[in-house]
Order: sequence, then C-alpha cells, then structure tokens
Amino acid sequence: MNLASLLSKDRVNLSLKPGKKDDVIKDLVYSIKKGTDAEVIVSTLLKREELGSTGIGKGIAIPHCRSLVVEKLEIAVGRTSKPISFNSIDKKPVSLIFLIIAPPQDPGNQYLITLGKIVQIAKEITKKNLIQQAKTPEEFIALINDIEKGLTKRK
Amino acid sequence: MQDVIEMHLKLLFDLDNLIADMEEPSYKKIGFKIEDEASLELIRKRNQLLKKLPQELAQRYEILKKRYRQAIAPVESEFCLGCFQKLPTELLTRSKDIITCPNCGRILYWREKS
Ligand SMILES: [Zn+2]
Repeated sequence: MNLASLLSKDRVNLSLKPGKKDDVIKDLVYSIKKGTDAEVIVSTLLKREELGSTGIGKGIAIPHCRSLVVEKLEIAVGRTSKPISFNSIDKKPVSLIFLIIAPPQDPGNQYLITLGKIVQIAKEITKKNLIQQAKTPEEFIALINDIEKGLTKRK
Repeated sequence: MQDVIEMHLKLLFDLDNLIADMEEPSYKKIGFKIEDEASLELIRKRNQLLKKLPQELAQRYEILKKRYRQAIAPVESEFCLGCFQKLPTELLTRSKDIITCPNCGRILYWREKS
C-alpha cells in the first residue's frame, strides 16, 4: 500500500496553528476523531511522547500509537506556520508533523510498515529541504507520491 | 459500560499495546529513541490504571491479556474481532455492562460511530 493513497487532502493541514506540543497534537487528533475517542488517542499519544520524543530531527515529528477507538489506519499531516518546540532528538523545533493512529488488530502489520515508510520519506524531505515545498494539500500528496516512487526505484 | 470505567479500560488497553509495540523487533528497527526509565514509568502508569478498575474486571482483564495478548476485542458488523464469531442478537445492543464474547471470552467493545 503506498503512503500517498492513505493520505486525503482534508487531513493535510498546511496552516496548522503553532502552539505547545500537546495542543498541536490535540488539534491534529481532532481532525480525525472527536469527543472521548479523541481524548483517549491524545492521552495515549502523549504517553508515547514521554517514552522519547517522536521528533526525529531536522524539523519533522511523527507522533504515533495504536488505539482501540479507531477501526482503520488514520493519518493526519500538519505543517505549522512557525516551528514549534517538540523536544526532538536534535533539540531543533518542528514544523512538519505526521500523525499516525492504528487499530489494535492489524492484519499484515500495516501500521509498522507505514510508520517505517513515513520515517524514510521524512528523511528524504529533510535531506532535500522540502518541508516548505508544497503550497496546497494536493501538492503535498503529490510530493509524497514522488518521493515514495523514488525510494521504491532505488531498491 | 460505565463511562469512567470504560475510559480507564480503553486507556489501559492502549497503554498495553504501546508497551507491546516497544518490544516488537520490527518497531525497534524503525529507530525511534526510547528512554529506559520512561518505559518503567509507563508500566507503573498501566498498573495504576488497572487498580482503578473494579477488582473482578481487573482480574478478568489480566487473565485475558495473558491468554490472548489483547484482552479487548472490538465488535464490527456483529462479529467479535477477537475470534471472528458472529455474536448472538441479544448481545448486539450496546449495554452499560461489561459484555464478554460468549465464544472467546474477550471483553467486547463497540466503537462510537463517527
Ligand atoms: Zn470472541
């Protein structure tokens, strides 16, 4: 399954409000779920962050978890207008965030495969300095698609 | 399920999955940095959550977790996603009580419609 096909343009927010790490995560979660479901997800994601930041460096973070409350893999992307502090491994602030939530049952291990793929793509984005490249959600998804194709070709 | 208990149960389940994933070789391979001290803290937090559940439910949860790794199974179109058996009709209306699957015994969870 390619990543671009798991993204939808209404889940790509390129003008995400900057703020505290927890609030930005919350905003992204609420684009996927509402109410107590969203609370459960936020709580689990923040527990995950306590284990070690998912800010992988050079301006990108990939918060992730499984949750009982989702029935399929859900991805939301946010880019903040100003970089925000995320306790990243390189201590640098973050402006591009890939949020991924997976159901507990996960035939074919789609969650971990997708998570690994996002990490790879994120590294390409930073290497080629493409965080600010896309101007619209459509462009962003097309960009991801291109990077992904490039990665597959190289294998 | 009562709301508060249900909330604790969902969080406990999510935390247990988080702990399980940390141990997964395919997760470790991805390369996120995990602090040892923090994972001990996570286990403490999940034990605290377990204590907040009524004793009988907590015991049942632990037994099911040992047996199946995942103690809770979502219900999807009348099926228990733990054992993939169709549930009897009388179970299909969402109830305030804790309901277990008559076939596998897992605690059943009906997702909110979104
Ligand atoms: Zn069952």
